Amino acid sequence: MTAKTFAQKAIEQASGVPDLVPGQIVDAYPDLYMSHTASWRCIRTLEKMGVDKLYDVDRVAMVMDHLSPAMTAKTASDHSLCRSFARRMGIKNFFDVNAGIAHIVLMENGLIRPGQFVIGTDSHSTIYGALGAFGTGVGFSEITAAWVTGKLWVKVPESVRIEIDGELGSGIYAKDIMLKLIGDLGADGLTYCSVEFTGSYVESMSVSERMTFCNLAMEMGAKNAFVAPDEITFAYLDEAGAPREELKVLLPDEGAEYRSTVRLDGATLSPQIAVPHTVDNVLPVGDVAGTKLDQVFIGSCANAKYDDLVIAADVLSGHKVAQDVRLIVTPASAKIMAQASASGVLATLIEAGAMITNPGCGACAGNGGAMADGEVTLSTANRNFQGRMGSYDSKIFLSSPATAAASAIRGVITDPREIEAVVA
Amino acid sequence: MNLVEKILARASGRSTVEPGEIVIAKVDRLIMHDLSGYLTAEVFDKRVNAPIPDPERAIMVFDHHFSPPTEQQANVLQRNREWARKHGITLFDCGNGNLHHAVVRHGLIKPGMIVVGSDSHTPVHGTLGALAVALGNDSHAGTVLPYGKAWFKVPETVRVQLDGTPQPGVSPRDIALWLVGRIGEGELNYRAVEFAGSYVRGLSFWDRWLFPLLCVDLGAKCSFVEPDEVTEAFVRTLPGADNDLLVHGDGEDAATVLRFDVGEASVQVACPPTVGNVKPVDEVAGTPVQWAELGGHGGGRLEDFRVAASILNGRRVHPDVRFNLVPSSREVFAEAVREGIVLALHEAGATWFPPSTGSNQAYNMGALAAGEAMISTHARNFPGRNGSPEASMYLASSATVAASAVAGSISGGKS
Repeated sequence: MTAKTFAQKAIEQASGVPDLVPGQIVDAYPDLYMSHTASWRCIRTLEKMGVDKLYDVDRVAMVMDHLSPAMTAKTASDHSLCRSFARRMGIKNFFDVNAGIAHIVLMENGLIRPGQFVIGTDSHSTIYGALGAFGTGVGFSEITAAWVTGKLWVKVPESVRIEIDGELGSGIYAKDIMLKLIGDLGADGLTYCSVEFTGSYVESMSVSERMTFCNLAMEMGAKNAFVAPDEITFAYLDEAGAPREELKVLLPDEGAEYRSTVRLDGATLSPQIAVPHTVDNVLPVGDVAGTKLDQVFIGSCANAKYDDLVIAADVLSGHKVAQDVRLIVTPASAKIMAQASASGVLATLIEAGAMITNPGCGACAGNGGAMADGEVTLSTANRNFQGRMGSYDSKIFLSSPATAAASAIRGVITDPREIEAVVA
Repeated sequence: MNLVEKILARASGRSTVEPGEIVIAKVDRLIMHDLSGYLTAEVFDKRVNAPIPDPERAIMVFDHHFSPPTEQQANVLQRNREWARKHGITLFDCGNGNLHHAVVRHGLIKPGMIVVGSDSHTPVHGTLGALAVALGNDSHAGTVLPYGKAWFKVPETVRVQLDGTPQPGVSPRDIALWLVGRIGEGELNYRAVEFAGSYVRGLSFWDRWLFPLLCVDLGAKCSFVEPDEVTEAFVRTLPGADNDLLVHGDGEDAATVLRFDVGEASVQVACPPTVGNVKPVDEVAGTPVQWAELGGHGGGRLEDFRVAASILNGRRVHPDVRFNLVPSSREVFAEAVREGIVLALHEAGATWFPPSTGSNQAYNMGALAAGEAMISTHARNFPGRNGSPEASMYLASSATVAASAVAGSISGGKS
């Protein structure tokens, strides 16, 4: 029997077809179908087709995370349609406008588990690999089809290993590693590949950091991403309500075939930044230090988890946001808001001058925190395409929460290592 | 002379003024928000374009937006910002709170001042013993900015005398709503409304605030509470506290005195379609609501969140209700964090939003679908103000809003 990659095993399990090879196309039965605010599109399609029975409502997860809460009557009625559909169908995993970002909410609630095959109407569904699941983004038509038929065709991807070793210096984080990789490999560097992260640094990472990794793998074109579940994963899942005895972990075999292996020594890294207008346009922060900012956004499924807010608060503690700069902090979920509120992180951020918004996608795609003509934002999100956050004539830079916080203090792009820690 | 007349006489360089006279008076503060500043700017730049002496007396607070949802709205904010920076106008960007709370919290409004502004609720600053009126953008651009002056017709004063003891569970907000119903919308056009009486004297500053706030719904030009030790003590808590301009009226009777026994008021709800459509809560109890909100010029106070926290203690927000909490200022939010109220209400299922006017007119949030209903502490409930014209808006006290959020329907809080 040949050694298999994670992707081979996950798709074999979801399709029931043995001995798959890259390039092969099979029908797979996803364990979960995630759809966000635009689920109304799927519902309208079902109405048109006259379909009123779903394959398995317990595999449907719907989260009202974009455009939340509604600022137009149209969006309000879209949300309302999703709510009434969920109620009518008996969809238990419906999360309303106050829950937070879909990816984070599903993981916090124990709905994402190792070995699962998960599809979602969001390209960053690769994030589910942080818990050892196969997560991939699909369109609304595919989700609609999966709701009804329970299955979706999938082409078995080739796999690539990314091995990160070494210790990171102070002021350097998981986001910096990913930006460096995206810059080096390019936005289409790993198109349709299953990316398996390994190495001593990856093994030491928190689940939060693993989420940042798997989320951003999308920006190299990955089909899915994967970090092998370990004790760190199991501790997180246990808290999320997915006890270890219920888990069915899939691990790649020793000797499985990879298209390539990429290696990076974390110790060689400095803080990185993606500059306009693509995610793979990456430079050391120092190269653009001093660039004047209008807005700093700490949010998104890439970097607004509790650990990210702690990193930002540690930098901001005892400092004030520069005059003429708006610092928007959008916790990724209601649970994270509670943690930050209980631990004092929220108080530190407010004291420094941050504006805390309701949990959700927030400004990431310009639905809130939209930019005017000529404005410049530094964001901890995962995309900086021209016009994504409002005006086509505005600029988005992407960085770690530490670089974002340091830059908010100075009002210009700043290497976080330059900000002195103030002991409260 | 009463307080309004004395302030106008002093500011126009006269020894006396009488109701009906037109005077030109010096203005101490111009307050604008993000929906009005750029419109004033447009008139000013095109038709006035003169130097602005003392530009810091003009204050702009971004409150209808906290995080603009579209590029067009972002450009409006940017226009406001550029204009404020160009002229040295005092600017509070998104997240600092709603206009009226932010200017008070920053010590920018003092007793005895003349305050003008483009928001219709500007008269609320009469709570501090200031003369505060809402003007139009043309007046701001044409006379207030270049000359620091505006013309005023001295209003006739009506005293609303509130005495008696409220029934248990009846809050100042209920009494304020009840008064709108009793007096009637538009019944006191162009009057100065003085709120007086033992009931008003016994209220804290922020509870008094709810009365001048409603005067615009009566049609009043301005409103005030005669400054006393409560006012002066409050002013001393503000940054740069001073009572240098403080004026007291001579205490003579107003032309008209309307007397009310607040003991007659019950818990009230303003129902669609206007603020004056006020009913005892029992008449509308049981009406399903999908949204509840504490916020707006009358409802994002620390007092409101404390009340909500006591009602939600050990309870949860109803699963069919989204309960929005919108602090009136950054200071209120920070204090609510310190008191543990932010965590307690969040864990009970409510959601916090940045200090702003929240769902007011749905610029940044708060649009409703057809058939949905919201109960809130906001000041207005006109159809179509929040999304669909087929949605319903109910206005009530923070206790009624919180109790309704728990019940999933309008609730008088008896449960």
